[in-house]
Amino acid sequence: MKLKIAHLYVALAALTFGCKPDIKEDITATSGTANFSQYVAVGNSLTAGYADGALYKQGQSYAYPNILAQQFALVGGGPFKIPYMVDDNGIGVQNNQPVTKRILGPVTDCKGVTSLGPVFAGIPNLANLAPIPGPFNNMGVPGAKSFHLLTPLFGRPLTQGGNPFYYRMASNPGVSTVVGDVVAQNPTFVSIWIGNNDVLGYASTGGEEGGDSITSVTAYTQYLYAIVNTVTAGGAKGVIANITDVTSIPYFRTVPYNGLVLTSQAQVDALNAGYAPLGIKFNLGQNPFIISDKNAPGGLRQIKSDELILLTIPQDSIKCKGLGSQIPIPGKYVLDQTEIANIKTATAGYNQAIVTVAQQKDLAFADMASLMSSLSTGITFDGLTFTTTFVTGGAFSLDGIHLTPQGNAIVANGFIDAINHKYSSTLPQVNVASYPGIVFP
Amino acid sequence: MKKLLFFMIFLSAAGLVRAGGYQVNLIGVRYVGMGHIGTGLTMDAGSIFFNPGALSLIKDKYSITGSVSGIFSYTQFRSANAGYTARTDNPLSTPFSVFASAKITDDLSAGIGVYTPFGSSIVWGDNWGGKYLIQDIKLKAVFFQPTVSYKIGDKLGIGAGLVFAYGKVDLHRAIPVTFADGSSGQANLKGHATNWGYNVGISFKPIEALTIGLNYRSKIKMDLKDGDANFTVPSSLSANFPAGNKFDATLPLPATFSGGISYNINEKFLIGAQVDYVRWSAYDSLIFDFKQNTSSLPDSRNPRKYDNTFIFRLGGQYKASDMLTIRLGGYYDETPVKKDYENPETPDGNRIGLSAGLSIYPIEKLSIDLSFLFVNQLKRDSQYLPANFKGAYKTYAYIPGIGLTYNF
Repeated sequence: MKLKIAHLYVALAALTFGCKPDIKEDITATSGTANFSQYVAVGNSLTAGYADGALYKQGQSYAYPNILAQQFALVGGGPFKIPYMVDDNGIGVQNNQPVTKRILGPVTDCKGVTSLGPVFAGIPNLANLAPIPGPFNNMGVPGAKSFHLLTPLFGRPLTQGGNPFYYRMASNPGVSTVVGDVVAQNPTFVSIWIGNNDVLGYASTGGEEGGDSITSVTAYTQYLYAIVNTVTAGGAKGVIANITDVTSIPYFRTVPYNGLVLTSQAQVDALNAGYAPLGIKFNLGQNPFIISDKNAPGGLRQIKSDELILLTIPQDSIKCKGLGSQIPIPGKYVLDQTEIANIKTATAGYNQAIVTVAQQKDLAFADMASLMSSLSTGITFDGLTFTTTFVTGGAFSLDGIHLTPQGNAIVANGFIDAINHKYSSTLPQVNVASYPGIVFP
Repeated sequence: MKKLLFFMIFLSAAGLVRAGGYQVNLIGVRYVGMGHIGTGLTMDAGSIFFNPGALSLIKDKYSITGSVSGIFSYTQFRSANAGYTARTDNPLSTPFSVFASAKITDDLSAGIGVYTPFGSSIVWGDNWGGKYLIQDIKLKAVFFQPTVSYKIGDKLGIGAGLVFAYGKVDLHRAIPVTFADGSSGQANLKGHATNWGYNVGISFKPIEALTIGLNYRSKIKMDLKDGDANFTVPSSLSANFPAGNKFDATLPLPATFSGGISYNINEKFLIGAQVDYVRWSAYDSLIFDFKQNTSSLPDSRNPRKYDNTFIFRLGGQYKASDMLTIRLGGYYDETPVKKDYENPETPDGNRIGLSAGLSIYPIEKLSIDLSFLFVNQLKRDSQYLPANFKGAYKTYAYIPGIGLTYNF
């Protein structure tokens, strides 16, 4: 009796020790009514994985279409070929010159104060722009506006006004089009996110004459229909995303309108004396910047609290050369009320067209505009809180426009939600916390 | 044997017991074998913990008992939206207890106990999906309790103990800054605290075969002062996370009311039941108050919002011979954690515990005690709302225990 019980006890212990909890798979990934076997992504720099002011290998690997493709692979998605750059410094464009990506590094300002800020990672390697053989599943092209996707001119060499990023990956530079290269791959599923640059080009040049102009809503709508009709002509299903409010991104929200800080009464008195004829007054502490405005008396005025200053404004000129105080800030660094209204009107028009085409073509609709507005107030995933604050907000990379890997994961999850909703698929989202944020030295 | 079988079936069906949060109900393997009933028992010096009032009712003049358990626990997490699975890699944790008591006079007994009624040891790893909530935590409390007990007549015992509690915590959590290799920064918070509490009880034997006990163990607020807050961050951020930083935090060890009853059906059979009421609502939030705050390092406020809970326990023992006693028991332990505040730091759920045990007497008065407890923490779909972290948790724990008891 004694022995038997002891045996039983040992047997029980041995039996149960090996057993670990196993939660039943209550979510099995399925493709629903969609077919992800041949996925092609259509879009601009956001789709390409441009980040930190450049297109570079690691940024491309974290682009939301690649994250999506990895989830599609769980339910029959095929390989996803990316037009990788040759290195991790990559190529970006600043003032029509090639540059590398930015990294955080020490920056010493005109007053000798050193702090952490975006600096170039090195010297750009132009081999990054050499043509490479396709076809490519990620057809996101940095700089692409809606109509660019439809024209063979877009693939001409840079010297002839073409786009260097499409030139290198075009099936036939100067002859092929982006949508043509998409269709040639017989996609079963497409993602379309295009239109940001139709308004961002204007916004990022301060809406100045001689700069970029906004694509009219009528024209955009026509281009959008042409793009969607072409890429879905072969029966592809897909998802289309609307355009975020570009004025809410860090590029326009980092330099405050009242960033003119006066610390001595002498400065205040001098400025008050100088601006007395225009009736502009200054105080100790924060003051609105002085900006150029050809319609204002004397061609200048104080900036209003709802007007925006671009991230690209030379900070040293503000600190040491009187920019924004003695010298008005030129219009190319400012979005005034009218320009902001132009941007918002166009964005709303584009987004109306996108919703309509999604309905007519029976596509899944990813509401990126709403996602962006919740980002403005702060949004939390897996213990990480994201905002639109530059650098520390976590979602936007060092160019203040494009996404970090974590930001791409959030966007990918938004697309996955939209796809699951439309096609009754059960694609799992990705774990945002497992993606990197902005790298600190 | 038939009787025994019936007894086992009865216990497996009704044998539901509960305990939750970071309370560790493994005080004495003789008690563990019976579903951790003890408030209504007068068995050995373990009454110092379970019911100081019962201590003076123990028949033997001296009682010494000590034991140690080994917790092998496995928790699985399955993300609700990202669909991945994570498992803990917990180290073996070894709660222990030692009690000794003596009758100073026929009516007055005194004793001392050292035991570990709270603790937690969870390792999720540095790179799992919930790393920004917790990577690993080690929490341990040791109680020292001198106790006196007085017998009023033959039927009533009252007793009280003064508790000195020592507690320590050591945890790691990822912080959202990224190194060049893509890994994240890390915070390590560790420190210790001490405080006082008490344990009072009353035990009543209306007839020889029946014991009724009531016990109250006070809340002890562990106020941790000047713990070490160390941060592993990229060097450019060292000013944002100052070296040698300190923190204060408070962790309450909740009060427990307990009522128990036991009955000797005959000379061989004893059966008992117990209800514990744990005042977990004391644990409302966990706040790490850093000595040096920066723009990157505000104080960390983590809502917990625990609820008070009941634990229902049932157990019994059978003296098979002079040399062998066998035990069975079980409990049902409600989770104190609200569904929207389930945090992987203390992954909790309603628990069913089933236990068995035995004592072997190689010589009279000395027993070698063994127990085995299996805890099934039921699958729970939940989330930690403040972090938007959703998923299901499930835990199994296998807990063997061994001890010695010498009553003379």
